[in-house]
Amino acid sequence: MTTPLRKSLYVGIAGLSIMGTAAACAPTTESPSTQTPATQNGGQASTTSPSSSGAAAASGESTYKDGTYSSDGTYTSPNGQETVGVELTLAADKVSAVNITVHPSNPNTKKFQGEFASGIAAQIVGKDIDELNVSKVAGSSLTSGGFNEAVEQIKSQAK
Amino acid sequence: MPHPGWSIFSFEGIGTQWEISTPEVLAPTVSHQLLQTVAAYDATWSRFRQDSLVSGLSRGPGSITLPEHAVALQSLYSTLYQLSDAAMTPLIGTSLERLGYDAGYTLKPSGNPEAAPRWEDVLEWSGTQLTAKEPLVLDIGAAGKGQLVDLLGEVLRASGHSDFLVDGSGDMLHAGSQPVTVALEHPYNPKQAIGTLELQNSALCASASNRRAWGDGLHHVLDGTTGKPIETTVATWTLAASAMVADALATAMFMMEPSSLEEDFDFSWLRVSSNGAATFSRHFEGRLFT
Repeated sequence: MTTPLRKSLYVGIAGLSIMGTAAACAPTTESPSTQTPATQNGGQASTTSPSSSGAAAASGESTYKDGTYSSDGTYTSPNGQETVGVELTLAADKVSAVNITVHPSNPNTKKFQGEFASGIAAQIVGKDIDELNVSKVAGSSLTSGGFNEAVEQIKSQAK
Repeated sequence: MPHPGWSIFSFEGIGTQWEISTPEVLAPTVSHQLLQTVAAYDATWSRFRQDSLVSGLSRGPGSITLPEHAVALQSLYSTLYQLSDAAMTPLIGTSLERLGYDAGYTLKPSGNPEAAPRWEDVLEWSGTQLTAKEPLVLDIGAAGKGQLVDLLGEVLRASGHSDFLVDGSGDMLHAGSQPVTVALEHPYNPKQAIGTLELQNSALCASASNRRAWGDGLHHVLDGTTGKPIETTVATWTLAASAMVADALATAMFMMEPSSLEEDFDFSWLRVSSNGAATFSRHFEGRLFT
């Protein structure tokens, strides 16, 4: 099985803590196009569209040029030297999108980086569907008339 | 009905209830074509029918020629078989039958759980050509319903429908400019939801072990390497471009970590474990009730 060597993950707030370290290595690579592998994940990329800021940029008050900046940062883990790619989209001096590209060499690190980037957790809370304004429900498919009938038969036999 | 005024075409197919919603009433030729597509899929793949193409393989070794859509199915299954170290397999049929989920809906185990036969030992499947080296119970249930959702979507697109929702009892494909809000069913209480999602130009599939369960610890999501039901995860949801991929990944997440699937597939996910803890990818952030 071949797997992509570089894999980009789009992170939420949880991902911002490492920005400081990784972005510090960034100044040398101001090129929106060098990190093309990061854009391969079209499906998720589309969910993090940078906020438009054409007006602010045109006013000339920005300290930084709008655009997408990327760089690799390195850190030393118990597994040795690891690399993490960071891509920032700047608009009117504000970060409008962050994209972390993980390309760890060690399987354990790969696991931890993946969890770090996507492991958001919560306890589920139920609300009555009747009280929601929805027309569709996705869950365990209400499969198979035959199956349900058989279960009912077994229930009645078991009485 | 996803939107006021939309027309709904409902029917039963592959053992479950279907609803196709469109802004305009479907022409009779289109609804006929949809039903034909469902019937053809069932006649090819159903392990619950003696006369289906694949059920011939359960009576003895042999070769069959499958329809063109089998190419995508083979590619998807072989990727997931390798990624999951054989836990996710189209050869799970025997293990399911062993536990009672058979064509006669016995729903009584006929023995201890049995691992599925190894693909590399018993099955040659290349594109539309499939050869069984011994009697096999093929079960493509993990991706089949999703693929049929996609095929029905293709029928609609080919007949000029750009807005639609195909809903195969919870596995859905949406197309068009009007998103549909979908509730995510509570894994322990079908009258409740744990969140909602806006579905637009994407497929949403779910897998859960609560409904198709028939006894103490017996349900339909099995680990192919042991033949036993999986107990740690109770429900999963996935969003992907195609319902076939979303459907398969919803099952795959019972067997493996989403992070290892993210390397090969573009998808978003939500997973609820048996203790009620939810983990999810970014797209599901803020969608769950708190």
